[in-house]
Amino acid sequence: MVKGNWALFEEDFWAINTILQNLIQTSSSKSVMLIDKTGQLISSIGEPPGFDVTSFSSLAAADFAANQQLAEMVGELDFATLVHQGANESMYLSLIANRVILVVLFDRKTSLGLVRLKARRGGEELLSVLNKLFDKLQYKNEDISSTALGAEFTAEAESEIDSLFKE
Amino acid sequence: MSLINYSSREINCKIVYYGPGLCGKTTNLQHIYSRVPQETRGKMISLATEMDRTLFFDFLPLELGQIRGFRTRFHLYTVPGQVYYNASRKLILKGVDGIVFVADSQIDRFEANVESYMNMLDNLTEHDLNLEKIPFVMQYNKRDLPRVVPVDDLERELNPRKAPYFEAVALRGTGVFDTLKVACKLVLKTLG
Repeated sequence: MVKGNWALFEEDFWAINTILQNLIQTSSSKSVMLIDKTGQLISSIGEPPGFDVTSFSSLAAADFAANQQLAEMVGELDFATLVHQGANESMYLSLIANRVILVVLFDRKTSLGLVRLKARRGGEELLSVLNKLFDKLQYKNEDISSTALGAEFTAEAESEIDSLFKE
Repeated sequence: MSLINYSSREINCKIVYYGPGLCGKTTNLQHIYSRVPQETRGKMISLATEMDRTLFFDFLPLELGQIRGFRTRFHLYTVPGQVYYNASRKLILKGVDGIVFVADSQIDRFEANVESYMNMLDNLTEHDLNLEKIPFVMQYNKRDLPRVVPVDDLERELNPRKAPYFEAVALRGTGVFDTLKVACKLVLKTLG
């Protein structure tokens, strides 16, 4: 049986994606990503970005981690939001439940003010979904077990590892 | 931290290569990158200084493909080995699923290995993690060089829990995939 430290179930995933979809529409942004603080992509909605989202997620998490250290140095607990503004493309990042990062990618069709406002509202909605998910992970492990994968998964994955990772 | 998404059917796991400066962590990842099929690997990211020393981390995502309907990925990270980058090392260990410790076999790097190993234990403790409970693989690198510490001595000092170990020459690729394979399999087993 395979279990993760973090598991996302169908209903949570759709609840999250509905919020992200709504955020894109109301803020007129291009795409929105939800990334675990350790750098794993949870969901990506909107225009498919023309870059490797897995690497992007890892760098976004590193960006946040580095800024958190900077915040501590100047006497803050953290910088809960970050903005990177380019000539055409910009991104807004905010930390939710101290565990996931919401990333909004937008261009000149919208404004930072609107993105910030809508991202804050979307963040509040996400917080409620995520809190329920964390409770589920913490207290209802049997839910995870019932949907977990079998020994066949491990065996098949091992065989794939042997065939792909070789000289 | 492994992430299982039952809806998009994805599993992601994080493996960190730890070890002292210039022991060959980045070389391990570079070799893996150069040898795995293109569709298996994602973009390799290296946040390095002008001198090619790792500043923050190297990152290489590997995708096993669909395993019983789940897209299964391993995210490989290296930490910066130089002593003064400890804040970065600590951050990268967050959410780790498995660790590969790359030791430099040269006699004059023996103390650096021990220092890095102790530093890893300290950083794990700060994340409330215990090495006993994390999949761990030891790699003794640079075995081709003339003045190296015997493996038995390295084992005694650096591998008291007798985790699997491999002798390696990462520059030539020797031992790199043996190490990776065992690390990945151990991670999958712990998730099970």
